[in-house]
Amino acid sequence: MAEIVLFYLLAAATVAAAVGVVMHENPLLCALHLVLSMLGVAGLFFLLQAPFVGAVQIMVYAGAVMVLFVLVLMLIDTNQDDEKFSGGNISALTKGLSVGVLSGLLTSIILRTPQSLQRSVTYEAYEVIDIAKLLFTKYVLAFELLGVLLLVIPVGVVALSRIRGGTHDR
Amino acid sequence: MTVNMMIGPEHYLIVSAILFCLGLSGILLRRNMIVMLMSIELMLNAVNLTFVTFSHFNQNLDGQVIVLFVMAIAAAEAGVGLALAVMLFKKFKELNISFFEHLRG
Amino acid sequence: MGSDVFEITVNVIKMLIIFLLMVQLVPILVWVERRGSAFIQNRFGPNRVGPLGLTQLLADAVKFLFKEEFVPPKSHALLYYAAPVLALIPGAIAFGGIPLSMPIDIQPFQMFGSEWGPYTFKFQSYDLDIGILFILAISSLGAYALLLAGWGSNNKYSLFGALRASAQMISYELAMGLSLVGMLMLYQTLNFSNMVELQKGPLHFMFFGKEILIPFLPNWGIFYQPLGFILFATAAFAETNRLPFDLPEAEGELVAGYHTEYGGLKMLLFYIGEYGHMMVASAVMVTFYFGGYELPFSLSDSLTGAVRGAFSSVNLGNVMAALVIHVVMLLKILFFLWVFIWVRWTLPRFRYDQLMDLGWKTMLPWSLANVLATAYLILMAGSAV
Repeated sequence: MAEIVLFYLLAAATVAAAVGVVMHENPLLCALHLVLSMLGVAGLFFLLQAPFVGAVQIMVYAGAVMVLFVLVLMLIDTNQDDEKFSGGNISALTKGLSVGVLSGLLTSIILRTPQSLQRSVTYEAYEVIDIAKLLFTKYVLAFELLGVLLLVIPVGVVALSRIRGGTHDR
Repeated sequence: MTVNMMIGPEHYLIVSAILFCLGLSGILLRRNMIVMLMSIELMLNAVNLTFVTFSHFNQNLDGQVIVLFVMAIAAAEAGVGLALAVMLFKKFKELNISFFEHLRG
Repeated sequence: MGSDVFEITVNVIKMLIIFLLMVQLVPILVWVERRGSAFIQNRFGPNRVGPLGLTQLLADAVKFLFKEEFVPPKSHALLYYAAPVLALIPGAIAFGGIPLSMPIDIQPFQMFGSEWGPYTFKFQSYDLDIGILFILAISSLGAYALLLAGWGSNNKYSLFGALRASAQMISYELAMGLSLVGMLMLYQTLNFSNMVELQKGPLHFMFFGKEILIPFLPNWGIFYQPLGFILFATAAFAETNRLPFDLPEAEGELVAGYHTEYGGLKMLLFYIGEYGHMMVASAVMVTFYFGGYELPFSLSDSLTGAVRGAFSSVNLGNVMAALVIHVVMLLKILFFLWVFIWVRWTLPRFRYDQLMDLGWKTMLPWSLANVLATAYLILMAGSAV
């Protein structure tokens, strides 16, 4: 019972916050809604008995990536943004309709798929160490490549930000 | 479909589908570069939710490992995207992508 | 959570008490901070109202409550009001996850004409297997309060403070997390209660196949990871925005930083948030490196034994023993809070580029080296707590 109530609360909050991301005019408020949405997704992870991923979701997304977004949005003044949405009512209507149709299609596919997954079984608890074992055995190559990527990214970002632009240009 | 009070995989998958479509509509409808980046993050979140759902209902931890990879790559992508956005803003004082239609420096 | 009415009620009351404990420590800490700073700087501090100036707190509380409500014009009202509340939440949630005393075992007993079965109450709001990870995650949300305060009050000093705060918190989170990894590898658990269990007894570990026992030292984390402790403590100072890293509210440059436009109760909420973060940092330090709520050697057992013996009822004895142990934990936390205050009034403030250099060029490499060295030693020498 508690699971059902929690699921619907979290799902409603997540989706409402996601709507806020798309519809809000001020980019900063979009970012804050995205934070709420990510916290909702983290809550759903906890509900799915994946607390490790949930905590990492809060730490990485809500705690680091979105702080970065908010920081950049505060750094640059976006108030003179006159064209917030793509122009033209007809084009916007078409895009909205196509996305709506896509979501309807996805939902119907999900609902009409025969349920091969077992439900209401007791789920085995796992520990963080099981994830770590998978990460360092089966996915060790991907893990190392990720390490390389995470080394390249800061170097690239630093190189980007060293380019003199703005008032120092030319 | 019979009314089932249990929360099954399809509930989570539908939430994930809605989140994904909202992110997609954000990319299609918005003109602000940073908001578009945020919409991409929203779509990645939806995908993560799908992974964790299947991981839970299949009793398979591989999905959660993939989610960790997705998160790391999303963080990296956000870093580069934001650095580019700040550079563009410094150069053009503009983040609206309709301004950059012609790709002329 | 609990399965029957009694257990649920006790759990809810417990959460409330732990939250109130955090909030009620704040006025005392403010007093300690003001008196302590005065003694460190050879001044008097508040000493007029009541004995030792202790009732100054009440006067301050009344002042905070009755100050005029003020919203700066052209501010974003929602964000302006949300920020102080958000400042309180991460600290309050995180503090609930740390075990403040040993679990209380309750034997079956009779009440209201029915039998209430055996219970075990943990002296914390919630007990997660991923304890430390969740607390780090929740604490990392503290940056939003500062950011929203800076943006919402539409003041350039506030905005500068907020930008500095967020950049600083993102930078030091890395070093903070990595400095704990070495200790986590030794403990092989993320759960606080297990860590406290592992730190019992005298210092003993396996080193190249030999068992080494040092009877005059407790088995605390600080003796395994001194570098990790120093790095964690430094990062904690930066995360809580305390001097020497209080650039977000550097009054010489930014008036008061992100809370320039706040007054009265809203200001007080920021204070509670800041002290809450300090309490969480101190409690994590105590639990990771200083044996948690346990006294060194077997003093804990003899103390609780003595307390249990003084009461005829087993349940009452268990509760009182847990409370005595809780006092030990509180004293440890208060010691580290005093260190926070002590450092604040002793060290000068860093410059901003020095702060960033320290975070990225010194602490990050050292914490990475600490992780590698610890991993190598565990692999080679086979030493674990």
